[in-house]
Amino acid sequence: MYHSSTQRLRWTFASEQEPGRLRAEANTRVRTKVSVVGKVLPADVSLLEPHEELMICRYYEKKLMEFCSAFKPVMPRSVMGTACMYFKRFYLNNSVMEYHPRIIMLTCVFLACKVDEFNVSSIQFVGNLQEVPLGQEKALEQILEYELLLIQQLNFHLIVHNPYRPFEGFLIDLKTRYPMLENPEVLRKAADEFLNWVALTDACLLFTPSKIALAAILSSASRAGINLESYLKECLEMKDNCEAMSQLLEEIKSIKNLVKMYESPGSDDIAILKQKLEKCHSSELALTAYLKKRKGYEDDEYITKKPKLDEEEWTDDDLADSL
Amino acid sequence: MDQYSILGRIGEGAHGIVFKAKHIETGETVALKKVALRRLEDGIPNQALREIKALQEIEDNQYVVKLKEVFPHGTGFVLVFEYMLSDLSEVLRNSEQPLTECQVKGYMQMLLKGVAFCHENSIMHRDLKPANLLISSTGHLKIADFGLARVFSNEGDRLYSHQVATRWYRAPELLYGARKYDEGVDLWAVGCIFGELLNNSPLFPGENDIEQLCCVLRILGTPNEKIWPEITELPDYNKISFKENPPIPLEHIVPDASPPALDLLKRFLVYPSKQRIRATEALLHPYFFTEPLPAHHSELPIPQRSGKKTRQRLQHQHEYRIDQPLEESVVDPELIAPYVMR
Repeated sequence: MYHSSTQRLRWTFASEQEPGRLRAEANTRVRTKVSVVGKVLPADVSLLEPHEELMICRYYEKKLMEFCSAFKPVMPRSVMGTACMYFKRFYLNNSVMEYHPRIIMLTCVFLACKVDEFNVSSIQFVGNLQEVPLGQEKALEQILEYELLLIQQLNFHLIVHNPYRPFEGFLIDLKTRYPMLENPEVLRKAADEFLNWVALTDACLLFTPSKIALAAILSSASRAGINLESYLKECLEMKDNCEAMSQLLEEIKSIKNLVKMYESPGSDDIAILKQKLEKCHSSELALTAYLKKRKGYEDDEYITKKPKLDEEEWTDDDLADSL
Repeated sequence: MDQYSILGRIGEGAHGIVFKAKHIETGETVALKKVALRRLEDGIPNQALREIKALQEIEDNQYVVKLKEVFPHGTGFVLVFEYMLSDLSEVLRNSEQPLTECQVKGYMQMLLKGVAFCHENSIMHRDLKPANLLISSTGHLKIADFGLARVFSNEGDRLYSHQVATRWYRAPELLYGARKYDEGVDLWAVGCIFGELLNNSPLFPGENDIEQLCCVLRILGTPNEKIWPEITELPDYNKISFKENPPIPLEHIVPDASPPALDLLKRFLVYPSKQRIRATEALLHPYFFTEPLPAHHSELPIPQRSGKKTRQRLQHQHEYRIDQPLEESVVDPELIAPYVMR
């Protein structure tokens, strides 16, 4: 039930500024860590600014969606939505400089498959990377290494409420209770697109899934020149409650605005940022994250297979090839 | 982990060892279920994820074991549950005489309340059995072990595994290999548990999957399309055929049960899943409102974990009477006053 969900209670923020503030804090934490260690960064390495981090996240969110849409066997949309949400939640409190988004992205999808009971074997999963078997094996090794970190960073809150089911619900409702609209299915295509776009914004951190779904319906309707105000009034019982109605419309407007304001990262910018990111990771900085993580494993009878070497990590280009 | 001191080992669960421990700060006794990630190839086991998923999202309920906390530890993590003294299988094993009718009613009422709560929250447990129904030191029954639980959606296109539920409590559609099923599988299991409480022995103790189906068919009669229309769509329906035999009246199988008990039992043990009585509905069945009334939890046996002899509570030997003045069944506060710390 959404009402008692960890999503509503713990991961839905009251203002648009809140997620930004958390990200800025995560960015500051890395900076402090670097300065505390007293590390002198090589001249060609510079830390990423919060807005640059956000750009990189946006880029990898898109990659995530592409990876999911191309996934074989066909992946239910909810798995993609869940994975995307995990990714956003992870980078609310972590920096891309510390944990590389490439591997976190895959780990998010891997975990989402399990949580949403979309049962694919791990071999099948990495098979979607269309890499050489050795590269797949390495990717899997990394995914499994980061899975525990991810689930911790998610605070073990695993269930994600996506807008896709409420969206279907609204369509059914329109079909059964709103005869004024002859064929509600006409709304589907544009609404689907809206839902794809909205998934790239912070909307899921700010609004309930049903409101996002309703925004998709209303946006699609207004594009088709259909006015659904009477549906809201009559069927959603907003008629006698002007205040609730205007509040709802306000929220819908904010959701639509998020989509309107969404900026796709430009490929030139991204190329520069990625270069910066890779430098952060190949420098000493990455090592601090790695060492810290290793430490967590020491107090158990766990033996790490072998130290992971940076040059062994498969690269972005490999990922790009697979998409 | 340093917040808890380990008191001992309770047992081995499906995904790790379960410890009894004390929360140092509050002094509360808890059960720690350690999930280690040794088998690296699959990562975090699905069962552990399911358990966290099912229990974290629901509000507290008196009849569902509470997941208090999850924290990382070593290569895995630890699930912290409220500590429970025993379970229903132990109660059944240790009780020398069959449970009294009001005791059975008491357990059934708690079980159904827990099941109703899960189903209202869109969770199918999928593995209800006496061993998963824990008994607290106060005699309360709570549903546990959500390792197979699924959050169900009514999308209708998702396939589920049929290899769920412990065999004796497995619904006939699962035995026929159904991949689409609903919370009716839990209601079947509730029926089996009910029968077991009434008889003090399992209703359908099949030795293997085929024999399990035989056990069910022997009592409920060979199913056909007329009484169970969906049967023809089940994957294994054509793979096995059984000799026609008529149903045996449940009166013969559970000879000591009262008529209302039999009536309720029959409503759970029907072939078509949709026809099984829902938990919320069952709670309104006359069975629970005819004398003797369901036992209060304080009148239920509380066995020791170690399987020692059942300690019957001596104070409450009488059958619970709803018409008795309240003063007679509660402790006089004056008597305990000297022992209450202030």
